[in-house]
Parts: sequence; structure tokens; C-alpha cells
Amino acid sequence: MKKRIFMVYFALVLLFFPVSPVFAAEDAPRLVDGADLLTDSEETALRDKLDEISERQQVDLVIVTTDSLEGKSPMEFADDFYDYNGYGFGDSYDGVLFLISMEERDWHISTTGFGITAITDAGREYISEKFLGDLSDGEYGAAFTAFAQLCDAFITQAREGEPYDVGNLPKEPFPLLMNLAIALIAGFLLSFIITSVMRGKLKSVHSQPMADSYIKRDSMHLTKQSDMFLYRHVNRSRKPEHDESSYSGGSVTHTSSSGRSHGGGGGKF
Amino acid sequence: MGEIQEYKCPCCGGGIAFDSNVQKMKCPYCDTEFEMETLAGYDSELKNDRADDMKWESSAGKEWQDGETDGLRTYVCKSCGGEIVCDENAAALSCPYCGNPVVLMGQFKGALKPDYVIPFKLDKKAAKAALKRHYEGKRLLPKVFKEENHIDEVKGVYVPFWLFDAGADANIRYKATKVRAWSDSKYDYTETSFFAVTRGGNIAFEKVPVDGSTKMPDDFMESIEPFDFSEAVDFKTAYLAGYLADKYDVDAGQSVERANVRIRQSTEDAFGATVKGYTTVVREAGSIQLHNGKIKYALFPVWLLSTTWKGKNYLFAMNGQTGKMVGDLPLDKTAYAKWLFGLTGIISAAVFAASYLLWLL
Repeated sequence: MKKRIFMVYFALVLLFFPVSPVFAAEDAPRLVDGADLLTDSEETALRDKLDEISERQQVDLVIVTTDSLEGKSPMEFADDFYDYNGYGFGDSYDGVLFLISMEERDWHISTTGFGITAITDAGREYISEKFLGDLSDGEYGAAFTAFAQLCDAFITQAREGEPYDVGNLPKEPFPLLMNLAIALIAGFLLSFIITSVMRGKLKSVHSQPMADSYIKRDSMHLTKQSDMFLYRHVNRSRKPEHDESSYSGGSVTHTSSSGRSHGGGGGKF
Repeated sequence: MGEIQEYKCPCCGGGIAFDSNVQKMKCPYCDTEFEMETLAGYDSELKNDRADDMKWESSAGKEWQDGETDGLRTYVCKSCGGEIVCDENAAALSCPYCGNPVVLMGQFKGALKPDYVIPFKLDKKAAKAALKRHYEGKRLLPKVFKEENHIDEVKGVYVPFWLFDAGADANIRYKATKVRAWSDSKYDYTETSFFAVTRGGNIAFEKVPVDGSTKMPDDFMESIEPFDFSEAVDFKTAYLAGYLADKYDVDAGQSVERANVRIRQSTEDAFGATVKGYTTVVREAGSIQLHNGKIKYALFPVWLLSTTWKGKNYLFAMNGQTGKMVGDLPLDKTAYAKWLFGLTGIISAAVFAASYLLWLL
């Protein structure tokens, strides 16, 4: 009897909630603050934001903080955390996981499925530049919010066409004050030079340090001309290491312990 | 065991005890290596250095013939002390430098007779026209100054000049470097080669003029140079008719220094220009010897125009032979500020717009 009621209830649930291919998103929260870096209110706000973006984009955005990598590399930890907690939308488990480990102050972004397409290596580089400052300053809430918003924008861009990638990164906002200051300084310097020339025209009295006009024509004769080599010095300096990162864009992927393919990368903060 | 001789290291100046048995030497202080001949050659160059010798024999000017100066009168300006000479027929005079009246001193006497004179070629009208042209194209000249163009005085003055003739022997030593750069897969190399470069020779100067009047600023006279000496003639008092003449009050001996400075500079430049193909050239030592240095005394024609504006006297001088006009003009400070800030605004706006367009692209 009880079992039947449960079945009916389950059927009703199925009826009212459109079947989504994977329930994974509901299995684990999208914000796991294992290192307790956020306040409760920050946590709630961020979780709501991640849920909203993930549902809307059908790409899981997950943020994980931890005090220990349990002996794994940040990449392994992030990939495994994503794979074994059932994150990801659709057959290709679309999603992006952002890991912060306080053990050695590592950050790592692991991308899966459509996440690999949307957040390319160049895109990840761009996003990390935006949040690393906050991260280093301990402004975790701000860093995570920036990450979520940027991922949202990157996913939208990838859905609508060309993903942000090498040569196609989002435009920096116009540096208004900076350019205004430079323009003013340049304008003043140029005007100063021009008006100095105009001032210079008023002055026509100059002493002449030379007597070139009074050299007797063809009177100069060189009678002694020697160019003697004395010694030489050779300086050797090591060439600057050339950055071989002239890659053509896209994401480099690897296979994690679960056998799935992930993109991503990270660093220290 | 060879003979030991001490040399000076060309690189650091330290002493190198040279052993002739060894063909290559290393400076104990800076580790630079030298060929034996290099050190010996460099040493003999150092011994060639001499001091400048710039002496002149003055035969400038002549004595006046009896009666030659009878028609000449000397006037003195009580205001600025200027002393001028003109012929006895000259009307009431004012000082060509400051515009104040001058008073008769009496019969001209003393001083030397000029060797040469370059007669006036351009007249008073030409001088006034030249002044007008001098005002043109100068946006920061106060408009009022241009409009109230009242020239107080236009005076044709024969200005005394000492003329210096000489041949110059120069021997100049330079330290020059050539820089070569190349690189292999791992390193960048820059090789600096040092050379001792010597240039010697001679050059002749003709009639280098130095202004012999203290009333006439030297820079003023140097600004209207050059005068074409080929048009000079032997001096006769008749040339003074209708013009003023300044009496020299700086003698030839005192003017020598200025001539030497100019001759030395030109000689160094001329020889320096023959040192070619190096990255850097630094003059290390050198000497200039003058020979057959002769000094002559000549009068050169100069139109002096003076105008007073806002209590300040502005003096202009025109070369009476070539028409070259000089004279500093006052600055219109309001116009200057307007131009400076106006241009700053326009250029800044243009640069800012350009930066925005670049960002849009």
C-alpha cells in the first residue's frame, strides 16, 4: 500500500517536472565551501547565482573550496570531484568546476563537455586575470562572483557562435580617464613645442660659435690620418626565453581517472 | 730577458710593464689584451699631444696721413657713453644705440686708420622695408607693436671690426668605437672595438671678424654675419660722408680670444667630420697651432634701427651689404597663453578621439 502511494507520488512528480536527462545537478550542491572561505550570506547569494546560471545555460557551474587535496594534484582533485559527484548536464556532462585549495593556495578550473568548448585555454587565461587579484587579496566572494559572471558571458558567446578565444577575447572597457590623461599630456607637450617654435621666431640674435663661413675655400688638407685598433670587448647575454605559446586557440584536453575528457588549467594565488 | 718598458693601458689608464719577449700583453687591472705594436703605437700618439698655440701678430690699422682726419669730428653720447665719428657736415645727431642726443667732442684724433671698408650697398628705405618684413609671420608679436611701427631712428653706422687671417695646423686624437652585434641560438653578443683615431692637417681662415665696439653687442654683430669681404675697398674718409662711424674701444689683442674660440670650433668640426664609420667618437686630446696669424682693421656697414615700446628700447640691426635683419622682438603674453591652451585643447581632443576610434576597431 505504502509502496503504491509512493509510486503515484513519483508519477505525479514526473508529470509536473519535465524530465531532464540527468538529475545530477540536484545530487550535489553547486557550491561546496569546504575551506569555509565565505560567510553564510555570501554562500547563499553565490549558490543562488550558480543555480540560476547553470539552469538557464544548461551548463553546471560548480565552485569548490577545500583545505586538502588529499594527495592529488589540483587537476586530479578537480576532475574527480566533478566526475564522482555527478555534476554535468546532458550526455557530455557539460559544466565548469572552479577549485580553490588552501593547502598550497592552488586554483584550478576543470571544464567538461560544452564547458571545454566555451572556456578555451585563452578564455581561461582571460577569466583568471579578472579574479586572481581578488583571490590573492582574500576577497573570495568577489572572485567567485566574477568567475560566475564571466563564465555566464563566455557560455552565452559560445552558444551564439564563435566562443571567446585567441584573437576573439572580450573587449576591455574603454580606459576613459587613462586615455584622457594621456591625451591632455600629449596635447600640452605638442602645443608647448609648437608655441616654443613660435616664440623662437621672435628671437633672431644668436652668437655664432663657429667661423665656418671664413674657411678659405679648399684650404683643408689632411696630412695625417691613422685609425689604430686598440682592443675589443665582447659582451654575451643570454637570450630571453621565448614564450612558445603561439597556439591557435581551443582547449587542450586530458582524460581523468574516470575515463572522461576534461579541459582546464590553474595556478597559484 | 727583454727590455722592460712601462706603457699606459688605453682602456683603463693603468700602468702595464711591457716585456718585449712576450708578444701579447694583458693589462693587470682590466684584463684587456693588446698587441705589442698597439701599445707602442698608442704610446707614441700620446707623446704627440701638444698644447695649443694661437698667437697673432697684429699689424692692424695704419697711421693717419697728415690732414686726413681734418674733416672728421668726434661726438660722445652723455647717456650711454657711445663715441661716434662722422664728417663735419653732419646735422644734429642722436646716438644710434640709445637715441639720446650726442655732443661734439671736437676734432677727431687718435685711434688707427682702418685698412678696409665695405661701403653701404643698401639704403635707409631698404632698411625700413626689411624691418617691416622682420615683423611678418610672427604670431606672438604684439599687434600694437606692429601697428605703432614708429622707428625712432634709422642710422647707417660703420662698425669697427678686427679681421683675423690665419692658417691652422691641427692634430686631434679621438677615441672611437665600433659596435657589432650578433647572436646564436642561446646568446646575444655585442662586440665593442676601440680605436685610437688621429687626424692631422691644416686649414686656413680668412677675415674672421670680431666686433671692436663695446657699444655694439657681439652676438648682434655675429647674427648679421657674414659680410662679403670681396667687396671691401681700401679705406678713404670719403666713405664716411652721410654715415656715422663707431670708434673701436676694444683693441685687437682683446678681440683675439673670440676669434680663437670660433677658429678652434670650426677647425675641430672640420677635422671631426673626417672621422667616419664609427658608432661613437669622443675627442680625447688635440692641439691647434696657428701660423701667419694676421689682424686687419675694417669698417663694416650696419643699419641700426631703434624703437621704444612700453619704456623699453628695441634695437634692430641690418647688414648694410646683404640686408640680413636681426633684432629680438617682444612677446605678446596673452596671445602666447591663448595659443598654448587653445592648441592643447585641440590636440588633446584629437588624440582622445583617435584613441577612442582605435578602441572601437
